[in-house]
Amino acid sequence: MLDQALVGDVLRRARQGGADFAELYVERWRRRAMRVLSGEVKEATSGLEYGAGLRLFYGTEVVYAYTNDLSPASLLEVADTLVRLKGSAGQVDAQGIGGLDFRKTVAQGLHAPQIPFTAKDKRYRLERILEAEAGARVGPQIKQVQTNLLEWEQEVLVATSEGAWAEDRRVRTRLVVTAIAQDETGMQTGSAGPGLSVGLELFERYPPAEVGRRAGLQALTNLRAKPAPAGTMPVVIGNGFGGVIFHEALGHLLETTSVAKKASVLSDKLGEKVASDCVTYIDDGTTPHGWGSQEFDDEGRPTERTVLIENGVLKSYMVDRLGSLLTGYRPTGSGRRQDYTFAPTSRMRNTFIAPGNTPKEKLFEGIEFGLYAADMGGGQVRPGSGEYNFAVKEGYVIRHGRIEEPVRGAMLVGRGPESIQKIVAVSDDLETGPGMCGSLSGSLPVEVGQPHLLISEIVVGGQA
Amino acid sequence: MTFEEARDYLLEKARAMGLEAEVLATYSRELTIQAHGGKVEEITQATQGGVGVRVVVEGKTGYAYTEERTPEALDWVLREAHENALLQSETGGFLPAGGELGRHDLLGEGLSAPLEQKRQAALDLEADLRADPRVLQVQMTRYSEQETQATLGSTRGVAGAFRNGFALLLSSAVMGEGKSLKQGWEFDLAKEFHALEPGRTAQQLLHRTGRLLGARPLKTGRYKAYFEPRAFAQLVGMMGWFLLSAKNVLEGKSLLAGKLGQKVASEMFTLVDDPTLIGGLASRPFDAEGTAARRTVFIENGILRTFAHNSETAQKMGLENTGHAFRSYKGVLDIAPSNLFVQPGEGVQMDDGIVVTELMGLHAGANPISGEFSLQALGLKVEGGEVAYPVENFTVAGNILELFSRITALGRELEWNSMMGMVGSPMVEVAELSFAGA
Repeated sequence: MLDQALVGDVLRRARQGGADFAELYVERWRRRAMRVLSGEVKEATSGLEYGAGLRLFYGTEVVYAYTNDLSPASLLEVADTLVRLKGSAGQVDAQGIGGLDFRKTVAQGLHAPQIPFTAKDKRYRLERILEAEAGARVGPQIKQVQTNLLEWEQEVLVATSEGAWAEDRRVRTRLVVTAIAQDETGMQTGSAGPGLSVGLELFERYPPAEVGRRAGLQALTNLRAKPAPAGTMPVVIGNGFGGVIFHEALGHLLETTSVAKKASVLSDKLGEKVASDCVTYIDDGTTPHGWGSQEFDDEGRPTERTVLIENGVLKSYMVDRLGSLLTGYRPTGSGRRQDYTFAPTSRMRNTFIAPGNTPKEKLFEGIEFGLYAADMGGGQVRPGSGEYNFAVKEGYVIRHGRIEEPVRGAMLVGRGPESIQKIVAVSDDLETGPGMCGSLSGSLPVEVGQPHLLISEIVVGGQA
Repeated sequence: MTFEEARDYLLEKARAMGLEAEVLATYSRELTIQAHGGKVEEITQATQGGVGVRVVVEGKTGYAYTEERTPEALDWVLREAHENALLQSETGGFLPAGGELGRHDLLGEGLSAPLEQKRQAALDLEADLRADPRVLQVQMTRYSEQETQATLGSTRGVAGAFRNGFALLLSSAVMGEGKSLKQGWEFDLAKEFHALEPGRTAQQLLHRTGRLLGARPLKTGRYKAYFEPRAFAQLVGMMGWFLLSAKNVLEGKSLLAGKLGQKVASEMFTLVDDPTLIGGLASRPFDAEGTAARRTVFIENGILRTFAHNSETAQKMGLENTGHAFRSYKGVLDIAPSNLFVQPGEGVQMDDGIVVTELMGLHAGANPISGEFSLQALGLKVEGGEVAYPVENFTVAGNILELFSRITALGRELEWNSMMGMVGSPMVEVAELSFAGA
């Protein structure tokens, strides 16, 4: 994307100014988005994003600049500005001896799309969207259906003064259907939104009519649902996107972004038992075509499968370059950023609880009164205190071991480290689902996942 | 090509292609200084911008944008926008006619201070926090400033530009006392660097988070709620605004549809948006379509007076355009408030209930379509008019319209928050809400 000699010049200029490490990140995105509401295209948009970020390390102090003027004059000016900002603190290396004999690594296309961004016309896309909408109309109570199709194509180059040169191309496609059901009792919603690192073959993996149907049925379920009960009770959490609870309650606490500053309640706990025996937690950047997969992270390092917790024992954190410098832990290919406007930090990729061996039905046995959180919305955590919350999108009351009437508006709250100790059984039906995770380095595609599992007690926020 | 050259290039090409086009170009500069452990750990300096077009052809609307300002990229933008427009089957689209709106400077010289002083502000804020023995970790401390120039032009004669910006101090820290841990954050936003005071921001964080230490579980039940301005602003900015957007009304997503002129809230409740507020952080001379800014009262003493409109929704509903068009260069035409605020009242006299100091997880726990919310909250238990102790691990749930109608008192002082747009609110007392905890 950028001339090698120019990249070398920019990195050399930074090293001459005293930085002991320089990294140039260049990217170009093409994006398309279409929003269709009840048969009408409300907005269709296309975008071209283009920019570069230059990051310099002076020990563990970082200066970062970004621009979308990628002319040689502008990029060299950016390097000079950063050096000026830092002041004269660094050691000047007039020769600029850095490993500028780049070792080129190009993505192998492990997650390459079969039907790329440029294939098929827009009508084709619109037809698939209309199939999704038709699928969502599962009853006369469905009053509105909104379908969004998102397509992203990103070309990335990361080059560093240590000689790394990584080029990656990432294609992601997501279809999101929201159904609104209405009757005399009010308005309720249901949604479904599969996404993968694929092109338009997403429609083969997830037939649009099926996706729509799931959204429609969920809206109908919520329409007949009663307000959720309130109080502390056992909760069975559904597989797939249910894993968002551990993304919030556990995953964020294992990123060096907070671990390095001792700002996570799970800092300095490697080798310690932090969860119950039945919990194995993995962050895998290599899952073929996973929504959060990429061949290289945004620091140019190959991604990997990182076992974070094995049978309850903390094995690894998620480590980026800065996190590694600060903590001494091995980098895990976890440096990610939304785009060139963010410096990377350690982030999750595809994170899930590994399957256990309790049959799903057994999880419900013996529960006198509890909640079955079949599908989840998003959530939030404060790593410093471990306090988290997340919303139940589709829930049912469990009574005498049986799944009974649907309930809506449940919110689960607690403290992550306590909740993971209370996972008492894990089933064998692992599934994953896509989400967008917001943190210091922006909003990123991640997968969350888990099998069905039982938490012995958790605060359920509902109607008292 | 400069942004203005790109705008002119696009408008000229659009005319040649027989398209009506509106071009929005934004250019911004950012500086962020992050302090940690008594040192500056990260500095970010940036310039960024892009050009977005909205085109209308045969009454159909399409969008595209680019950050690359080469003729090839700009040509691609027009082609894509044209193709995108032709996908529409509706044909009511149009661009509003307009004229010269002038160039406005809403920022002035407020950000021109030496870099050294800005560094020091971040360092001082961190040092002030660390000085308190209850602070276990200062996770992040930042000084940040942003300056934006926006240029608008259309083939229908609209032409205008304005410059705006802000300076910000932000920090997040973990406080502890005994076994109790609380993570809190604080920020202060101003149009001038010199209006920021690290010491004040630090004291606010220490006060707001320190008072939550030693929190106890809250017993599940129904309690009177006293929302602090920050918490109420979150609800109004996220859910209240959603209901008022005429776009959501037209799309069948707003519970306020069909309720113009009706009572939708307590008669104490008045909700206003004022883009002309002098020194307002979200003030603007005109909206994203070039409609001149003016004050709008949405809900007056509980009566719904108007929705928030852009030219498109106003025409569809046959109502007056309130000048709330919003678009970023990457985005599509939408509706957004400027300085939105709840009119203060006669004051709140606390007796028994829960002070809700902050709400969390609104993106997941508040559903503006159904109006229902169930949210993790932080708060204080009040007994006999006095704060008895802090409470934790609980949620507050309800329906936003019921909540609006159960408002029983409003504080006298307006406080601004920028978590969900710029939203101002006093303290708000709500008769009774459902709290879930132990």
